[in-house]
Amino acid sequence: MSVSILAAAAAPVIKGPLAYFATPFFGIFLSIAVYLLGQWLFKKFNGFFLFQPLFVGMVLGIIVLVIMAKMLGMDTAKFYTTAYKPGGDIIFWFLNPATIAFAVPLYKRNDIVKKFWLEILLSLIVGAFVSLFVIFGISKLFGLSNVGIASMLPQAATTAIALPISTAVGGNAAVTAMACILNAVIIYALGGWLVKVFRLNSDPIGTGLGLGTSGHTVGSAFALQLGSVQGSMAAIAVVIISIVIDIVVPIFAALVGLG
Amino acid sequence: MAENNKSKTATSTKKDAPILVQIGIYATVLFISWLISEFVAKTFPKFPLPTPVIGLVLLYLALTFKIIKVEWVDSFGSFMISLIGFLFVPSGIQLAGTLGILQNEGWKLVIVIILSTIVLLVVVAYTARLFIWIRVHWFHGDATVNQDDQK
Repeated sequence: MSVSILAAAAAPVIKGPLAYFATPFFGIFLSIAVYLLGQWLFKKFNGFFLFQPLFVGMVLGIIVLVIMAKMLGMDTAKFYTTAYKPGGDIIFWFLNPATIAFAVPLYKRNDIVKKFWLEILLSLIVGAFVSLFVIFGISKLFGLSNVGIASMLPQAATTAIALPISTAVGGNAAVTAMACILNAVIIYALGGWLVKVFRLNSDPIGTGLGLGTSGHTVGSAFALQLGSVQGSMAAIAVVIISIVIDIVVPIFAALVGLG
Repeated sequence: MAENNKSKTATSTKKDAPILVQIGIYATVLFISWLISEFVAKTFPKFPLPTPVIGLVLLYLALTFKIIKVEWVDSFGSFMISLIGFLFVPSGIQLAGTLGILQNEGWKLVIVIILSTIVLLVVVAYTARLFIWIRVHWFHGDATVNQDDQK
């Protein structure tokens, strides 16, 4: 009974089998189920990177939604919005307190911030500019359209900043959102391997700044696992790179004739 | 209040605040940040500042200026951070709603995104290494990093 009441409150005209999924219960259940399955697989296969719980959860979740939408004869995007999004949004909201929680590891390494603030600031500004040139070059090399290129540029910023900038420089906000999400998933899955391959270990400050820039909040959580310096540097990078991107990308886009 | 709480790595031996009080502090900071974010959005629509970014800065400043003690926000914060992988699952699944965009430029986009991620990580990390090298070799600065928990 309560199911139908909630469903009625959320979307009044849902009928048939879909009504059973149009409440937050399903989205929350699916999210935790696929993530736990990912954790179990990750353990079972001794931490094989493709079984990273976040990656498994994302892929399995999408597969489940696609199959269910097919079975109900619906468009996947529409099924996602009615069946998954209500629950997904509730979990998503908790990224807010989780993100501001990074103030604590940052505060705990205030010694590093006070000592290296100039290097941190310069690295992020110069690093952002260099990265933009390289990303622009790669996008050209792969023959992306101007819309595609413009969508790639703001991805180092946190999603809420990257999306409006993407639109402002002529990109597609949905593509930029995908980039920001994949950044995080990639860093969480491949971060350990990348740190090893590029021999970043010897320099905790650079590693932290890089992980925060490329992997956003999720990258910061990964950095924190490497050590307190890496974690605090990633946290500061998330904030500063977002503001740098906010200012630099429109200038860069004008420079290369986009937007 | 917390004048003597200056230990760098803050291995606080003090007792954590009750969990509901900690949640209350996070909720307060987030609400204030949201108000600021709305104000900024109305005043400078071209310069978006999202709530969690403002919140991170506010909480950091509150800790640095000893308005909030670290043991009031520490254990709940660590718990939330430990959940981040899970909290990000809905964002990943969100891509199910936009699978259509892959049809336009196909998997080229995904490859460019993978390469861009690596570029951002490596370029920023090496740039930082360069600036720290400059600090040591040009300005003879000290670049020792006290890291007691390197894994």
